[in-house]
Amino acid sequence: MSEPQVDLGDDSPAKPRRVAPFVVLGVLVVMIALFVVLAGSSSGPKDEVGLIESPLLGRAAPTVRSTTLDDTPFDLARRKGSWVVVNFFNSTCAPCRAEHPELVKFAEQQRSFGADGAELYTMLQINDDIDRVKSFFLSRGGDWPIVRDDEGTVNVDFGVALVPETFIIDPDGVVVVRWAGQIDAETLSRLVQQQRDLYELS
Amino acid sequence: MSRTSAWKRWPGWLALFLVVGGLLAYGAVKDSGPLTPEERVEEITKRIACPVCDGETVYESANPSSVAIRAEVKAQVAQAQNSDDEIVAFIVQQFGDQTQLVPNATGFDSLVWILPAMALVCAAVGLFFAFRKWKHNVDAVPDDDDRARVAEAMAAEEPDGVES
Repeated sequence: MSEPQVDLGDDSPAKPRRVAPFVVLGVLVVMIALFVVLAGSSSGPKDEVGLIESPLLGRAAPTVRSTTLDDTPFDLARRKGSWVVVNFFNSTCAPCRAEHPELVKFAEQQRSFGADGAELYTMLQINDDIDRVKSFFLSRGGDWPIVRDDEGTVNVDFGVALVPETFIIDPDGVVVVRWAGQIDAETLSRLVQQQRDLYELS
Repeated sequence: MSRTSAWKRWPGWLALFLVVGGLLAYGAVKDSGPLTPEERVEEITKRIACPVCDGETVYESANPSSVAIRAEVKAQVAQAQNSDDEIVAFIVQQFGDQTQLVPNATGFDSLVWILPAMALVCAAVGLFFAFRKWKHNVDAVPDDDDRARVAEAMAAEEPDGVES
């Protein structure tokens, strides 16, 4: 049953404007915009593999004063004059362990160049187990210096969040390459050679 | 409800506004005294997101990178040379913008702070007008024209009775 229809005549009040559809449309637009922004945003360094940006590129490498696993003092600044490759490593990290044979191969290649070959250093993370690291290198090979980072400052200064990461530093002590994730011997040798060529041109 | 009674309620609203505004202002600017170095480290590391893990701050994460950042923050606090903001800015510079949990209050990031405040003000203004409109509708009293129209309509319905 419906109410009787009442004709209020021509001077009836104006029909109220419908606001709800506009509100729904506005909310929908905002939700879609948020979805697009969030879907397109990076969730962090774990997304990145290969050559990546770093505020260090083109700048002097951070100060690294520490000791190696055999308690030899290490100062990165004293390596000036040589090409230096610093590989950040953690003995519990599967990609680091998988990458290791490639680094062994790279070290052998560079050694064959004599004094012109790049020097390779492994940089540990703050809470890595030293005995486990020693055992790993003993069983898998790798006779290059392994540098401790007991204070964690080296990892922070290089901005390393996720290992493995590899940096190439030129003879002037300037960071020229940052590589995130696993790297193979061929790629690393090629990157060093590219930088060497650029350095000689400049 | 008469206009006079509405005016009588204004002192109550004003008192409520002053109390709420005063408490908010006090909460925003209150100084709980100097922090110990440990408290500073805790506050700073809670403002930094773990660069590797999802949904964790550096304060609570056990990831090696977070452990290293905590150690770095602790070292910088011990040096007592940089402010909290400067320490956070250093970490963000090293590890990227995604590690900054609390957005800046300047530049484009400031929209994060401004938009909710604007939305709150718009909602309050909208509610004010909505309440006023509803109150006017409740207060509406039919005049003679309205009564005449209703009577006319009722009379028109009488021959057939109530429509089904």
